[in-house]
Amino acid sequence: MAKKRILLVDDEKSLTSLLKLNLEETGNYDVRVENWPEDALPAAREFKPDLVLLDLIMPRMPGGNVAAQIDADPQLKGTPIVFLTAAVRKHQVEENEGIICEHPCLAKPATVEEVIAMIEKHARK
Amino acid sequence: METKPIRLLLVEDNPADARLFRELLKEITTAQFDITVSARLSEALTKLHGGSFDVVLTDLSLPDSHGLEAFRELHSAAPTVPVIVLSGVDDETLATSAVREGAQDYLVKSRSDPHLLVRSIRYAIERHAAERKLIASEAFYHSLVEHLPQNMFRKDLSERFTFANQRFCQSLGQPLEAIIGKTDFDFYPPELARKYQHDDREVIRTGRTLETVEENVSPSGEKLYVQVVKTPIRDAHGRILGTQCIFWDTTERKRFEEQLQRKNAELAASEAALRKSNEDLKAAQLQLIQAEKMESIGTLAAGVAHEVKNPLAILQMGINYLTKKTPPGDENIAMVLQEMKEAITRADAITRGLLDFAASKQLAVKPEDLNQIILDTLKMVRHELNKNRIELVKDLSEPLPKVSVDKTQIQQVFVNLFVNAIHAMPAAGRLSVRTYAKQMTETTHTEGSRKSDHLWVGETAVVAEVEDTGTGIPTDLLTKIFDPFFTTKPTGVGTGLGLPVSRKIIELHGGAIEIKNKTGDRGVRVTVLLREHRSS
Repeated sequence: MAKKRILLVDDEKSLTSLLKLNLEETGNYDVRVENWPEDALPAAREFKPDLVLLDLIMPRMPGGNVAAQIDADPQLKGTPIVFLTAAVRKHQVEENEGIICEHPCLAKPATVEEVIAMIEKHARK
Repeated sequence: METKPIRLLLVEDNPADARLFRELLKEITTAQFDITVSARLSEALTKLHGGSFDVVLTDLSLPDSHGLEAFRELHSAAPTVPVIVLSGVDDETLATSAVREGAQDYLVKSRSDPHLLVRSIRYAIERHAAERKLIASEAFYHSLVEHLPQNMFRKDLSERFTFANQRFCQSLGQPLEAIIGKTDFDFYPPELARKYQHDDREVIRTGRTLETVEENVSPSGEKLYVQVVKTPIRDAHGRILGTQCIFWDTTERKRFEEQLQRKNAELAASEAALRKSNEDLKAAQLQLIQAEKMESIGTLAAGVAHEVKNPLAILQMGINYLTKKTPPGDENIAMVLQEMKEAITRADAITRGLLDFAASKQLAVKPEDLNQIILDTLKMVRHELNKNRIELVKDLSEPLPKVSVDKTQIQQVFVNLFVNAIHAMPAAGRLSVRTYAKQMTETTHTEGSRKSDHLWVGETAVVAEVEDTGTGIPTDLLTKIFDPFFTTKPTGVGTGLGLPVSRKIIELHGGAIEIKNKTGDRGVRVTVLLREHRSS
């Protein structure tokens, strides 16, 4: 079975490297990390992820804009995006059935299991 | 005895008669006389004007005047001088008339002897002097009574007016003749007349002076206040003959006093109002400061929470990784990792609480049944209640008016309240929950709140009371329970955010929350007031 390709965009370097480690540890995922929001679109074009894990609050460009860029890109259109953010609270996410800004959302801090569950639910099959 | 001679004016045109009188007077040894004789009235009048005489003896048939006229002219020319009329045997009737008009006496010329003459003269002088005194005294009292600004009247024992002074006549608007013989009922409304007569009878019965202030109504209908002094009138033997009353209008003074009192009261009231508004101002200022503090804590909390969450997420990831990589069997590492996981859970709980506290002010408000919300929430804590052997007593009024609330938020409030109650009863107890609707009798006011969205008097509030039988709140801590991060629970059990968040939620709903120690009983009562849902 081919590994799922996950693009992880978050300005927190420690978080991205640890999450990458955790995800790749399972052997099911191929994770590419971008720590600057403006690098996300070129990286996505090149990497063609099955799912983008996207932080909402980042310097220079909010995650929402990055999501809009990806949504608007003809090649990337339809790429699943999951927000991973400390800006929402868990119960808010739950109340909205996991959807914030038209995309699923996961509140930080999330356990690796929760992240994997999200990926499995939303990633391109 | 008599040192000064009596100055006598003899008015007599008949020289023989004049001489006769001179002779008679000379014979008197007990008094000396200084005699002046006038033959004509005009001359006598001039002399009366010029000199001072003690007595006048006059004939009534003079060349220039005759009869009573002569007497009258003399009497009016010198009313202070006593006059004795001399008459012949044939005109005694005339002399008697003169006496009736003010002559002191009359003497029949042919029957006069020195003894009779001197007695008549002396008596005339004495009597006249006494009369003058009496007249003067009467005039004095009359003038006093008539010119007093006070009203005066007298009544007999049958309540009939026997006297009224000018002032009282004016007050009644009636001449004296129209008052004498009448009673109070002829001038006053029956109830007043009855009262006046009652007072009179009281004076007659007790024989004592009665002083009172009466409320009176003037003919024009305005209210008057009258100071009244009533005294009994007695005869020489002390028997009461009637009553005398003096009264005067004190309306002006009374009004002035009332005005003064009113002004004083107003002054006191405005002072109190001023003091109160000062207090209010102070309270409002404190409230504002408190609200400001809460707001900045909220903002700060949100920032801190956000910033803390990322490092927490990193730690979470790190622990996840290490957990997987740790070879099985190393219990110490497993234990350390477990402790770290729990620490993260705790830190996360606090940051979540902080974010709740700084929560967005948007509520998903719907008409809800508060009873149902409470029942649902109780289910969530059922396990805790059982574990702590806490008896649950429910007294939920049915039907209860709906409330406009965000159900999730209100549930959060009740979870907080129930958990607090459970924590306060570590070794069994009773949790009572009561709901009912009531009409507000005072406007709610929450310290530390900047909201103007109160429950007003007359509004219907849906009330929930949560009572425990626990440890209660130490009095000195009562003011702190809504302060963020204030907690008495052991570390890791309480975040110090439950009540601040609860209050914030209730206030966002325009409601109020109050926490008090129960009086006379152990434990705490929390009262939550929410506004009745109004379909509009």
